[in-house]
Amino acid sequence: MSAGPSSLKHVESLANRLRRRQVCGSRQAALETLFVLQKVVSEARFSHIEELLDLVKSIGARLVKAQPKEHSVGNTVRKALHHIREEYNTAAAQNSKTKGPPQTGFSISNFLLTGQPKKHSSHPKSPAVEKLPSVDRMDANSEDFAEGLKPLLMDAMQDIVDELETVYDNVSKTAKDHIHSDEIILTIGKSRTVEAFLKSAAHHRKFTVIVAESGPSYTGHDMARNLSAAGISTFLVPDSSLHAIMSRVNKVILGAHAILANGGMFAMTGSLLAATAARVHSTPVVVCAGQFKLTPLWNLYHEYGALDFTDPSRVLGFDEGKLLENVEVLNPYYDYVNPELVHVYITNDGDHPPSSVYRLIKETYDDEDHELQTR
Amino acid sequence: MTRAERRELQEKQRAAKKEKEAAAPAGDGAGGKGKAKAGASSAKATTSQNAQPSGTPSKDAGRDAPGSQDPDGPRGQRIFSHFGSQKPPSSGKTPSSDPIHPAVIRLGLQFSEFKIVGANARCIATLTALRNVIQDYSTPANTTLSRHLEKHLGPQITHLVSARPMAVTMGNAIRQLKKYISECDIDLPDKDAKDLLCDKIDTYIRDRIVLADQVIVENAVKKINDGDTVLTYARSSAVQKILLGAHGEGKNISVVVVDSRPLLEGKNLLSVLTNAGIPCTYMLLPSLGSYLSSHSGNISSVLLGAHSIHADGAVFSRSGTALVAMMARTHTIPVLVACETYKFSEAVVLDGFTKNELGDLSVFPPYPSVIPNSKLLRERSPNSKLELFNPLYDLTSAKDITAVVTEVGIIPASSISLIPLALGR
Repeated sequence: MSAGPSSLKHVESLANRLRRRQVCGSRQAALETLFVLQKVVSEARFSHIEELLDLVKSIGARLVKAQPKEHSVGNTVRKALHHIREEYNTAAAQNSKTKGPPQTGFSISNFLLTGQPKKHSSHPKSPAVEKLPSVDRMDANSEDFAEGLKPLLMDAMQDIVDELETVYDNVSKTAKDHIHSDEIILTIGKSRTVEAFLKSAAHHRKFTVIVAESGPSYTGHDMARNLSAAGISTFLVPDSSLHAIMSRVNKVILGAHAILANGGMFAMTGSLLAATAARVHSTPVVVCAGQFKLTPLWNLYHEYGALDFTDPSRVLGFDEGKLLENVEVLNPYYDYVNPELVHVYITNDGDHPPSSVYRLIKETYDDEDHELQTR
Repeated sequence: MTRAERRELQEKQRAAKKEKEAAAPAGDGAGGKGKAKAGASSAKATTSQNAQPSGTPSKDAGRDAPGSQDPDGPRGQRIFSHFGSQKPPSSGKTPSSDPIHPAVIRLGLQFSEFKIVGANARCIATLTALRNVIQDYSTPANTTLSRHLEKHLGPQITHLVSARPMAVTMGNAIRQLKKYISECDIDLPDKDAKDLLCDKIDTYIRDRIVLADQVIVENAVKKINDGDTVLTYARSSAVQKILLGAHGEGKNISVVVVDSRPLLEGKNLLSVLTNAGIPCTYMLLPSLGSYLSSHSGNISSVLLGAHSIHADGAVFSRSGTALVAMMARTHTIPVLVACETYKFSEAVVLDGFTKNELGDLSVFPPYPSVIPNSKLLRERSPNSKLELFNPLYDLTSAKDITAVVTEVGIIPASSISLIPLALGR
């Protein structure tokens, strides 16, 4: 089994860009990972599906190691692995149906078959490898069968790409049901998902949005500008006033960086303050995120380092001079928000409470992929 | 003219009057915020009267265009309308006939440009300015000092309030001063009466602020142990004195300073503490959530200052204080509020929204230089759907506060209503 040389180059280039943080945003990282994986799969030569899966897994491990804080990379790899396995199992089930006694997907013999190394089979090999129908007539373990599966796999990966590209539209589908007229919505910083959500709701309802400017990145300014340009009545407030205005806010809508398996999430710094203040005032907290942010890991929040620290000069600049000698300046980029503070996750696949996130993860990913660094 | 014709004429005049009245307040209410902002952003030097006529037509035109059905604007803007407009700095010209004392004019300008901030500082500055006014005052003929001086002080105080709304401390101090004035003996010659009043002002400052702070420092320092890490927010003069006092007693403390825009007062506290040699950590308010989640074991207590304390135990303080107290309570870290008793106010405020002050954004220190200016919104552009809103205060509820350190002792938040009793009133 091998991967083509040019695809390896792509992998290295993406790994470097991830390490240098030149890839901006979790959706962008997911898309780039998928493009790399598509190239790898199309150029890969493998005799057995397990070889392809190992190849993808090792590439995934390398990319995750390059940037462990960018969870969408690992999630996309896991999703691709899940789809590959699914396609393979479907094709293998169809194949075994045509040749012998009917076998259901989960029979023991099928299990054993897929685990065996390549056998010299007595079945004649058909010369037309590329066409889809001919795949059915083949032995599930032959090299040509595996190669013939490639179009199916490329299709499956293209499905994931399509899902990623339409994520904003799908998340915003239910926007008008969640936001009602004359409501006051609070959001912090800039999230493209939340922006799409609010703009979609603005087509049907008239409401007001309060945006917290969210230091030290001050991305709230961009968000406020975009929202008001879309015709939504917007207020820009400093972060310190969150508690003061919370009594008038009807809903808090936040974006997420990653959704953890216990229903908690990593979100932009300041989200924990907003969610806690909302809890105190019994205001519902709604999180808009694409499904590619679902991470099967859940114990990341125990490490303080998982928060990903950024440039402290944004907090206390070098022009402060003398102050910097004796002062420790902190600038964490993410907050961990525990599942009790979130009421619902609105994803491109529907709305889910935090308590059922674990079920979503079981459906989307395979258990053996949770840890990409194997052996 | 027959009676019918007269009645017709009267009806016409009444209708015309009602139209005019309806047009003017609708223009005022809807354009109130926009007017003053247009005035602030265009030219600070012009008086608010000049800015009004130019502001109103553009504001009304902007209001009609978005197609909102409400004459007062969308619900969001109506909800915030009770805060009034964010004022441009006062120019010193008042419609009343009394000239304003130059010390008061200077103070008004310093207030509106946020050169003097903080409840204590503003109160001391106000009393000092009024002291000057009293010294320069001479009783006109046919009236006595005890009756006329109060009237004389009225416009001076109004001028200060027009720069920034009255602080509770200023209000309490001025009320006390008026009481002193009315108690003045009628037979005293002017000079003696004025000297007496100035003495009383000095005594008030000394007793209720300076000495009270010293007692507060003594009380609070007992609660700070060697090796403690104290967390504080923005800059409170009382908290600063406590931290310096604890360090001066030889205790090894380290301080975490949490700060936030737009005032960034924490930086001043930071420079004072680092000059004294106290090791500090500095962060912005949004980072506090993560910091406390991982370091809650290190922080021994949270020290906060107050603008005023209320009868139900709530503390009215710089915006952001409520968030700090709330997070500290989530992690069961004790919260101490350092507050002199003269900040007590009998009013009960329900939440941070009921009573607040909006700050004019153009006077505040700039954003960090690493962020390009084009990214930031500093001023509201007219006719857009975007407003900049900057409340300066918020309310910390009594349940988030462990204890209040005053000069009459360390008391729980629920006992704040007994402070007047403790003072012998």
